[in-house]
Amino acid sequence: MEKQNTFTNEENCSSEQLESYFFNPNWDNSMNQNDPFESAFSSMAASNGIIGDNIVVRELIGRTGNSQEMSMLDHQIAQGNFPINGNRFSSPPSSAPFPADPGFADRAARFSCFANKNLGAMNAQLGSNEAELPHRSATNLEPGKISSYQSFKISSCDKKLGCLSISSTPEKAEFCESRENSSISEQIPAREVGTNDANDRKRKAVLRGKAKAIPSSNSANISSENSGSSSKRSKPGDDKCSEPPKDYIHVRARRGQATDAHSLAERVRREKIGERMKFLQDLVPGCNKVTGKAVMLDEIINYVQSLQRQVEFLSMKLANVNPTMDFNMQALLSKDMFQSRGAIHDELQLLDTYPFQCQQGPNLHSVIPSRIDAFPTNYFNDATGRNQSKQQLSVDNLVSTVWEDDLHSLVQMGNGQNQTQSFHGILPTAQTKAER
Amino acid sequence: MKTHNQLPSSHSLVESRFAYLFLKALKELNKNRPSSPSIRDTYRRYNLIRVSAYGLMASAVRPRRAWSRATLWKIRNRTFLRALMKRSRTRSLTRRVPARGNPKKGLGCKLVKDLRKLVPGGEEMKFCRLLNETSHYMKCLQAQVQIMRNIVDHYST
Repeated sequence: MEKQNTFTNEENCSSEQLESYFFNPNWDNSMNQNDPFESAFSSMAASNGIIGDNIVVRELIGRTGNSQEMSMLDHQIAQGNFPINGNRFSSPPSSAPFPADPGFADRAARFSCFANKNLGAMNAQLGSNEAELPHRSATNLEPGKISSYQSFKISSCDKKLGCLSISSTPEKAEFCESRENSSISEQIPAREVGTNDANDRKRKAVLRGKAKAIPSSNSANISSENSGSSSKRSKPGDDKCSEPPKDYIHVRARRGQATDAHSLAERVRREKIGERMKFLQDLVPGCNKVTGKAVMLDEIINYVQSLQRQVEFLSMKLANVNPTMDFNMQALLSKDMFQSRGAIHDELQLLDTYPFQCQQGPNLHSVIPSRIDAFPTNYFNDATGRNQSKQQLSVDNLVSTVWEDDLHSLVQMGNGQNQTQSFHGILPTAQTKAER
Repeated sequence: MKTHNQLPSSHSLVESRFAYLFLKALKELNKNRPSSPSIRDTYRRYNLIRVSAYGLMASAVRPRRAWSRATLWKIRNRTFLRALMKRSRTRSLTRRVPARGNPKKGLGCKLVKDLRKLVPGGEEMKFCRLLNETSHYMKCLQAQVQIMRNIVDHYST
């Protein structure tokens, strides 16, 4: 990135001080809210590729693993996905059930024991379960979140698998009750597997026979046990589940269309990508008439490049503004504090130390008055805790003074005098931060 | 946003946060401005402002999106990355993991690669995710440009 190239300036050390000062408190702020996030996040920050891998792995395994990290990652990923549909696939953190691995192993063993036992009773039960399912899904998950049965449809072709998975409906009953929140998506694949034989249609499409409470990992294990066909199908399932980490996508095979797993997966994928391209089209101005993904991508790239160039140009302009800005900045801040209304409840901590004047100023995109309070306190609390080496010089200032002064001291440190010293100080600090 | 007391428009929250942070940063940066700035000083300030613009936007977004995480990580580890770069100039700073899940060869792999380079952290995402991140990144960039333009206009008058 060009950012990287420009970072080689020696001034970067100073900017890094400044930026770290800004970043750490914010990070700590968010991390304080979500402690497990920190552990997950550090690993994520180290390699962004982990996110994708985790999703894939998670899909393969089903929902095994009771690690809180996984749920946190899920939450992160779910939050970060797909703004279009308002996170249709996202689910509350509580509904990210990851039963423990040993539990799955036990259940898997138990299920296999029940092979061929309840096959007859299955269909009847499946019917009843089906009735229950919508209710459950309504209560627990959105309909769209119901697992994709792709990986399991395959296995449904196999009678043995059906028996294996459907087996022990009484077991399922237990599990259903025990894991109501999470389990629906898990149950569904199991049920799907159960109904197979009667219909050669793609199970993917239909919510048939909801055999209860087979953990999705169990089903996943079963499907993985199968021959290559099942493994192939689980892959499309993985692809589809890249966005909603916990659930499988329900795909309906349309009339007259190919119904094998690959094409279904491809279709879903294409639809997803198409949806996002449409959303991007709305974002990019003047792209309403553009058709075709390639042209659209080109426009998007140009637009992002132009935006980045604009940012750089404006920052250059800001760097050249005359020093009389200082006074204006104060006024600007005070003006904008009351500029827009908005209830930021999540960060509302009433601080009334800042005297405000209600004036009409430039519309700076909803700067909200109550927000000032959150930052100074956070900065202080976090800054003093974290950057020991860097802020040794300014720790006193930080603790004792208002937010302007501590920033001021930091910038002083960064801007000029002790560049070499600060550089040495920054380097180990940066290293430690990277390790964190 | 994760919190229960969710704003009606979470993006305005991000914008206000960024505006606030950026104004503060600008204020601090301008406090030490020498009376007659040399080109070098101006360039330095420009660099600082630019980095802070990107970084503060990422901070305002919180590490919730992949691109904000990538940006913050890059800024945090700039010295480390710089050393890495010096050590091996030929090697790219970002890990060259071939992005899986990108079957859209017909779409133009080159275009997708360019997009990956543009969006921070986009090197290792699947294509679907890349589009997500791009849309969010674009929205934030738009807001950032708007805010900065407002600031410049305010101070130039």
